[in-house]
Amino acid sequence: MLLELNNIFKWVNQGGKRIFLLSDINLKIDEGEFISIMGPSGSGKSTLLNVIGMLDGFQEGEYNFMGESVHTMKEKNRSKLYKEYIGFVFQAYHLIDELTVYENIETPLLYKDINSSERKALVADMLDRFNIVGKKDLFPSQLSGGQQQLVGVARALITKPKLILADEPTGNLNSKQSEEIMQLFKELNQEGVTIIQATHSETNAAYGSRVLHLLDGRRDFN
Amino acid sequence: MIRNYFKIAWRNIRSNKLFTALNIAGLAIGLCVCMILFSFVNTELGFDKMYSNSEDIYRVNMETSEEYNFETWATMPNAVGPAIAQDIPQVKLMTRLIKDDFGATASLKIGDKNFTENRLYLADSAIFKMFDFKFLEGNSNDAFSKPKSIVLSQSAKIRLFGNQDAMGQLIIVNNINTLQVSGIYADLPKNSVMDIDMVYNIMDTWMGTNVYWSNASYETYLQLEPNSNVSNLQNQATGLIDKYVDKDNQYFTKFIFQPLTEIHLHSAHVREAYSSKMGSITAIKSLLFLSLLVLLIACINYMNLATANAQKRAKGIGINKVLGANRRQMLSLFYVETGIMVFLSIAIGYAVSFLTLPLFKSITGNELSYQDLLDTPILIGLLIIWILVTLVAGSYPAISMSNISPLILVNKSKKKGSASELIRKGLVVFQFAASIVLIIAVTIILQQMAFIKNRNLGYDPNGIVAVSVKSAETEQQVESLIKGLERLVNVESVSAVQSMPGANESGRSVYKMATDGTGLPIASCRTDGNIVNTLKLKVIAGNELPETIPEGDSIIYSLINEKILNYLDYKTPEDAIGKIIHTELGSMAIITGVVENFNFNSLKESVGGYMYYKSRKAPEGIRTLLVRYNTQDLSKFMSQLQQTFNEALPNTAFDYQFLDRHVAQLYASEEKTASTATLFSVLAIFIACLGLFGLAAFTAEQRTKEIGVRKVLGATVTGITRLLSKDFLKLVLVAFVIAAPVAYLIMRNWLLDFAYRTEISWWVFAFAGIAALCIALITVSFQAIKAAMANPVKSLRTE
Ligand SMILES: Nc1ncnc2c1ncn2[C@@H]1O[C@H](COP(=O)(O)OP(=O)(O)OP(=O)(O)O)[C@@H](O)[C@H]1O
Ligand SMILES: [Mg+2]
Repeated sequence: MLLELNNIFKWVNQGGKRIFLLSDINLKIDEGEFISIMGPSGSGKSTLLNVIGMLDGFQEGEYNFMGESVHTMKEKNRSKLYKEYIGFVFQAYHLIDELTVYENIETPLLYKDINSSERKALVADMLDRFNIVGKKDLFPSQLSGGQQQLVGVARALITKPKLILADEPTGNLNSKQSEEIMQLFKELNQEGVTIIQATHSETNAAYGSRVLHLLDGRRDFN
Repeated sequence: MIRNYFKIAWRNIRSNKLFTALNIAGLAIGLCVCMILFSFVNTELGFDKMYSNSEDIYRVNMETSEEYNFETWATMPNAVGPAIAQDIPQVKLMTRLIKDDFGATASLKIGDKNFTENRLYLADSAIFKMFDFKFLEGNSNDAFSKPKSIVLSQSAKIRLFGNQDAMGQLIIVNNINTLQVSGIYADLPKNSVMDIDMVYNIMDTWMGTNVYWSNASYETYLQLEPNSNVSNLQNQATGLIDKYVDKDNQYFTKFIFQPLTEIHLHSAHVREAYSSKMGSITAIKSLLFLSLLVLLIACINYMNLATANAQKRAKGIGINKVLGANRRQMLSLFYVETGIMVFLSIAIGYAVSFLTLPLFKSITGNELSYQDLLDTPILIGLLIIWILVTLVAGSYPAISMSNISPLILVNKSKKKGSASELIRKGLVVFQFAASIVLIIAVTIILQQMAFIKNRNLGYDPNGIVAVSVKSAETEQQVESLIKGLERLVNVESVSAVQSMPGANESGRSVYKMATDGTGLPIASCRTDGNIVNTLKLKVIAGNELPETIPEGDSIIYSLINEKILNYLDYKTPEDAIGKIIHTELGSMAIITGVVENFNFNSLKESVGGYMYYKSRKAPEGIRTLLVRYNTQDLSKFMSQLQQTFNEALPNTAFDYQFLDRHVAQLYASEEKTASTATLFSVLAIFIACLGLFGLAAFTAEQRTKEIGVRKVLGATVTGITRLLSKDFLKLVLVAFVIAAPVAYLIMRNWLLDFAYRTEISWWVFAFAGIAALCIALITVSFQAIKAAMANPVKSLRTE
């Protein structure tokens, strides 16, 4: 088992009232799964992904990731953990505008203190695999949306994460580009990478092995 | 990793040109000012540290008794030095030092050429060893071995003799004293209070040999054994007063050994010293404070612009954090960026400081050479400034931005703009408050200077030239000069005097009763002409001094001012006329007339007692002619004057001074303060405006979409300009409210230095407030108008 959420509650206080963003979420995910989270807008998909990705906290409940209990962990160790095992892909790509394609892909390796020759080799492999060697010196603004997301995925993969979290990865792409990315996710999943994506699209959700429905911050089993 | 930081930082710096330019400009100006000031402070603090025995050299100062208001004097009787040297074995070397003729300009005659000289000293021969004189010709042991020897500095030698050999040549001082050049020494260090141009042996004159404990005119320097207990020796020296001086004649009570290295900066309270190289530690401190203030304002610019930029940068930070960067790494990134920016600014500021050095010199009047900018402490200082400014300017942006959560990427929560907004506003308020304080200060300083210049001194110093005749060979020469001058058409009146007002009068005391022990210290000045006419004094009782005094008349006719009159307790001025006045001048002095008080000293001091006297048997000589002239063509008049002078006194250098300039000279340090403060306030405001300009640009950019929407909805350009400018102007108003009382307190305190001072009026504050508001308005509205004029369709499309 890769991770496990038990009775997770997350809320914010607004005007003296508690507004629940997540309530009583229970979830077990095994290594190698490809999970799609679906639900109407505002149902808490992104919130849940952020909790799983350890970017955001929660008020109640337990979260175990690879046998370690995240909810008791210090901030520092938590970021160590996600840095090691989790890659993120965003709807808005979120590439660093000031860096080239090559440098964007390389950045996570820098934060893991990997030496330069190894970095070169890893980045070269990745460029090769995604067929973007010719674009390596371009800046994000010089790429199409699909290409940018390709770089985003490449960057998420460069550290060989066990888990990829993708929040509407194809939200800004046309259907052909979407299909490419989804195909890519499928391949990665087949290679053993666990993937959790939030999506509005039934088609995209169909790539996954399991679909998880949310409604108003709760799991919806209907 | 670090290479990557540099890369990212460098690209960020380059990608945001306006931000970079504003920051570098502000920081470079601030740093340029600091650099120049630091090198100035560096030279000032280095004064007199270069002598091999600097640590062991002391100047003896003495504390006077109540009669002289317990003042501390640098000059003392010529008996003090020899007594200390004789009775205190720990004194290795002792020299007395006195300017020729008590500091009056000397006239030197070499062959048939005449020169004036202001730095001719008399000293004991120990001075050569004590102050490491390096002899280029002759040597320190023999320099004074022959009587009537004089040694010259190299530059004095060149001035007097050019390339010709000077050794053995004769110099006639003031037409009475013939001296022979016995040595040439390398010029003394520029940053030393020892400003000796030439020096002859005090032991060749009565000044050295005829020691007494009364007249205090001699500086005294001691070199002590290393590691001596100074306070102990000081007490021993003070003990000598009782040993050698009768209780009745003890007008000084204590000797104080002042370390040589402190003389230059720490002598504001010490009076009567000869050196022209006097600095002031308070001036240094305020300069330092001002430059740090300017630098701080520049740092604040950086902080403000950097955090204003934060929204743009937030995404990048979020991404980096998601990709595994921790807080520390983001901190380093920002510090690297700040470091690069500050480095560029320092490089530019340093280069510019070389270019602006002459300007600095002319504005503040502080001597500084290019070499001083290259001094090692300055280079080390640059490094320290670099690190310090990077840390200070980088601190707030780095800390606030490295705290940005990666959640910024996924939803729009956690935009805690309010805190940083508040801090940013606070910083702008601080900048403007500081600028407004400076504007108010400068205005009041200038007002006070004008007040002083326009104040009625009680005499009219304008249109008077003081011509030195102290080196005339005979009295007939002076008389024929006076006659010659009176024949000139443009001369209104000529008075022969001992001294022009406030220069070389004799210090005397007026006593109520002949038997009194203490009296009122006054300045007394011998005169021979119609001084009332020449100076335009106002007689309020009695008469002017008699035009001529018949042979055999031994009365001393005197003209006193109201200050003396009041001290003497006469009911009316008229009561005093014809009465005897008790001074050291003897029992023949009577009061002929009373004149209105006049400010012979700086207006920083209140009027003191002053007495002009005229007598056939005057103890003082005539040294100066005060010539009141009336001409449109001053240069023609001056050449006539010189010609007349040369005809009457062919062997004397023509030495003159305009009285109004002499008076202006009294406020030289205030003039310096005024121009320095002006410079700093202009810079401070300019830098603050750079920052404001940048902030306005950012706000306009941030609100592009809002502006677009508003325009589509029908807002006018004026309306939008007002909308964008309003917030900034509010900040300036807040700054004003803070600045006004602070400035008031500071300036009220500054004015206390003057006995005569201008009122602080409300319009100064109004002026400063309006000025700051206008400057801010112009700066901000430039951006606001630009934003308001932009085509709304464009800005909406890009969003
Ligand atoms: N910090 C917060 N404070 C208040 N409300 C919040 C906060 N964060 C999220 N929410 C609310 O929680 C709910 C869930 O948001 P979330 O972004 O997870 O929805 P989502 O399912 O991802 O929607 P979408 O499909 O539109 O992306 C929303 O109603 C949102 O307004
Ligand atoms: Mg979402």
